[in-house]
Amino acid sequence: MHNITINRYTVDTPAPARMPLRLLSSSTFKRLLVAGSLLLPLATTSVAAEEREPAEVYRQVCSHCHNLDKAVGPMITMPFPETAWEARGTYIRNTVRQGRAAMPSLREAKVSNAELDELIDALLRGELANAAAGEE
Amino acid sequence: MSTTQRILPKGVAEADFDAALNLFRDTIGSESVLTESEQLAPYTKIMMAGDDADYIPSAALLPNEAEQVQEIVRICNQYKVPIWTISTGKNLGYGSAAPGATGQVILDLHRLNRIINVDPEVCTALIEPGVTYQQLYDYIKEKGYKLWLDPPAPSAIAGPVGNTLDRGVGYTPYGEHFMFQCGMEVVLANGEMIRTGMGGIENSSSWQVFKWGYGPYIDGLFTQSNYGVVTKMGLWLMPEPPAYRPFLIQYQDPEDIAEIVDVLRPLRIAQIIPNAVVIVHTLWDAGTHVVRKDYYNGKESIPREAIERIKADEGIGEWNVYAALYGTPEQIEVNWKIVEQAFSASGKANIMYGEEAEKRGGGFEYRSALMKGDMNLQEFGLYNWRGGGGSMWFAPVSQAKGSETKDQTELAQQILGKYGFDYVAEYIVGWRDMHHVIDLLYNREDPEETQRAHDCFAELIDEFAKRGYGLYRTNTEFMEQVAGTFGEPLRNVHTALKNALDPNGILSPGKSGIRQ
Repeated sequence: MHNITINRYTVDTPAPARMPLRLLSSSTFKRLLVAGSLLLPLATTSVAAEEREPAEVYRQVCSHCHNLDKAVGPMITMPFPETAWEARGTYIRNTVRQGRAAMPSLREAKVSNAELDELIDALLRGELANAAAGEE
Repeated sequence: MSTTQRILPKGVAEADFDAALNLFRDTIGSESVLTESEQLAPYTKIMMAGDDADYIPSAALLPNEAEQVQEIVRICNQYKVPIWTISTGKNLGYGSAAPGATGQVILDLHRLNRIINVDPEVCTALIEPGVTYQQLYDYIKEKGYKLWLDPPAPSAIAGPVGNTLDRGVGYTPYGEHFMFQCGMEVVLANGEMIRTGMGGIENSSSWQVFKWGYGPYIDGLFTQSNYGVVTKMGLWLMPEPPAYRPFLIQYQDPEDIAEIVDVLRPLRIAQIIPNAVVIVHTLWDAGTHVVRKDYYNGKESIPREAIERIKADEGIGEWNVYAALYGTPEQIEVNWKIVEQAFSASGKANIMYGEEAEKRGGGFEYRSALMKGDMNLQEFGLYNWRGGGGSMWFAPVSQAKGSETKDQTELAQQILGKYGFDYVAEYIVGWRDMHHVIDLLYNREDPEETQRAHDCFAELIDEFAKRGYGLYRTNTEFMEQVAGTFGEPLRNVHTALKNALDPNGILSPGKSGIRQ
């Protein structure tokens, strides 16, 4: 489905819109009001909805197994020659989305398509090699 | 996707399913309704020994708000569409992010990922199901709060809500997760939303501090069940202690497990050792970083002589106890003397902490991280022990009594040996109970081995049940069988509750063997 794009990112996942309360049935709306569930102060203090930088995705999701000092999964941060980017990128994408042996599959909800595009780009260019070695 | 190949929810006509999908799109946006096979691929990977064809979703829904979940279940009721709810989807070895049966629609709550509140004074949090331990950990660090989490082994990529609802455990003094849960927001099958405990009181300030509320306590009904969709959950966080001392005790003889448990039990019940202690067998302790074929490449269970070579090479014991002390330095010194005295009595134990423990070849570093709530996935190294991506957690409960532990260990080794699998196991010690966790590792790329693993797991369930041992949790392939071991009267109650709360049977049919 996805063609790898090294220099630009073709897929964006727009943030789904909050469902308007008007879409709730009137009876449910009243019940919620009675239950207080629409009234309780639930100010959101942290939402991780915005697109994360590749290094942040790597830190949060990949590093715990793929960092050199962990060695649970293979090293994935070595740069690849440009001629191999498309093939290697497809391999990474398929592995992330479908999983492979011990590697769990990672869904769009966990790593968005846009984030994955950027992550693959950074991995192929070797930009995360220092992060994998445990350096800032 | 061609019509002839299309997967539909069981008993739902294609036209009805299309109508439901259109309403889902109206509710959460078309980009959040996944139906293409490439989009659904991540929801099909399983590690358990089931048939891949039995665990393929027909669609996945990615709501952003609890109110959208309410509307989704109303649509499901209208068209009798079954949904299988996941949060972070990292219940690896228990079913991962796959549905309970082919055709079910995945309700993926990962985008409900708000940290609504962390209170550093009463040490509580209120979060949504998509929040990962890593996300909450980062948030607490960023705020500078002196609070610890209690992650299970998949830590960073898993989340507190899903793990607690499956009654998972961690390794700090807050290791029994459901015990430290407080208050839920739940969307019922009819679309109504409730708050448990004190949450029903408008503007209550005690929702996250007082578990019981008023009247029957119902939070447990929403764990390991399919009676509602939990959209918010409160939990208690451990205040960071002034001092922390992880330690390691090694025993070398297989028979020593009985002594370990009997020495440990009074210390654990009296809270001298307050955390969820683990007693780790050689193959687990080594298996996080050692590969089986370096010691044995045969098809039988790894032989005793190979286990002895691993112990010698790695400097680990037959049984390796990882525990910790928490408190002021003075408290730790007092309790350390008690621990040393208790374990030194027989002369069999090798007791150590600090540099001496770090030099051992086992898991002291990652265990020390987990016992203080840090993020660490080193345990996933177990999946490389045999290779091939097959894993099922067989997890019977036992009393914390040496005689019982010895019986369970021998029975497990006998059945695993019959099928050619290794005893890769640990005991997690609660207050009076223990979770005997065995990772049945196998090569899932080999159909014969996969079938053998399936047969082995089924026999383990039955044979343990015959001796009075039940499982605390299991994977989707074996939920029906495990439910059967707990008897029909209990199952009838579960069914009656299901019929009352979800008469159309739309919520996670088959979860824990519960269906209409």
